[in-house]
Amino acid sequence: MTTGSVELLLVDDGAALRGYDCRDVVRVEEIAGDPGGYLVRLGRLGSPREVACSGVLGSVALSAREIRPVPEVLRERITGEKPWAVGLTQRGIYLLY
Amino acid sequence: MFEVIGMVPTSGMSPLDEAREELLREASFDAEVTGREKAREESGPARTLLVFSVGAEMYAVDLVHVRKVLRPARIARVSGASPEVLGLMNCQGEVLCVLDLRKVLSPGKETVPPRATEGKFIVVVQHGGKEAGFLVDAVRDVAELPASSVHPVLDSIDPSRARLFEGTVASGGQFVGLLSPSACLNP
Repeated sequence: MTTGSVELLLVDDGAALRGYDCRDVVRVEEIAGDPGGYLVRLGRLGSPREVACSGVLGSVALSAREIRPVPEVLRERITGEKPWAVGLTQRGIYLLY
Repeated sequence: MFEVIGMVPTSGMSPLDEAREELLREASFDAEVTGREKAREESGPARTLLVFSVGAEMYAVDLVHVRKVLRPARIARVSGASPEVLGLMNCQGEVLCVLDLRKVLSPGKETVPPRATEGKFIVVVQHGGKEAGFLVDAVRDVAELPASSVHPVLDSIDPSRARLFEGTVASGGQFVGLLSPSACLNP
């Protein structure tokens, strides 16, 4: 039986939903001059980086059983930052970065 | 003249004729089966293909590589993915990457994005440890053809696309492109 879980900050990047480990989030800022635009600063756990997004949807807890590996066929077809997993819940599918 | 007791000829045939008739029926059936087996030996083992359409064109894939055929459910988009990636779908508790076969077959070519997946099908193909769902317009047929009926890829097919095909088959009076699952799954 698996008991692990991860708390994610869900953001809308304009095309898809992304989930970032809440423990890695340093700060969420509104982008000046861009209503509805946010900048998520990450790097509390890993290397510092910023992600611009069009909306912050809140947080969601995913249990280990709701986490799946990224399909190989997709991994090979993504340029830029690659997700480390996929969250599969009743509410939807999120890519975890 | 003598009478055979208990053997009343029916339909004007004597018991001997009936027995001979039965033997001939068996013999012709055996010959038919032997002929079919011989034909199969000459043409190679049969291949069972799933035939489907994308637009006006017909394509097929060997059924041994088809895991299932589904109706599309909600597909979650993925940012930063190549144009042929439609997104991810929950497939009975597993994550399925759905590719637009139209775009796989026309790399770099501007194609009309599928406005809706309603009424379409997803053919889930598995090969070499990889799996993906290919969005197609309609599933047409399951055809059993001798291996010898798979012909080389038509010369008219663009060389950049030719790698995506194993060959060409004729089904229902139409040329059908037999897809290579390996080439379609690997970018």
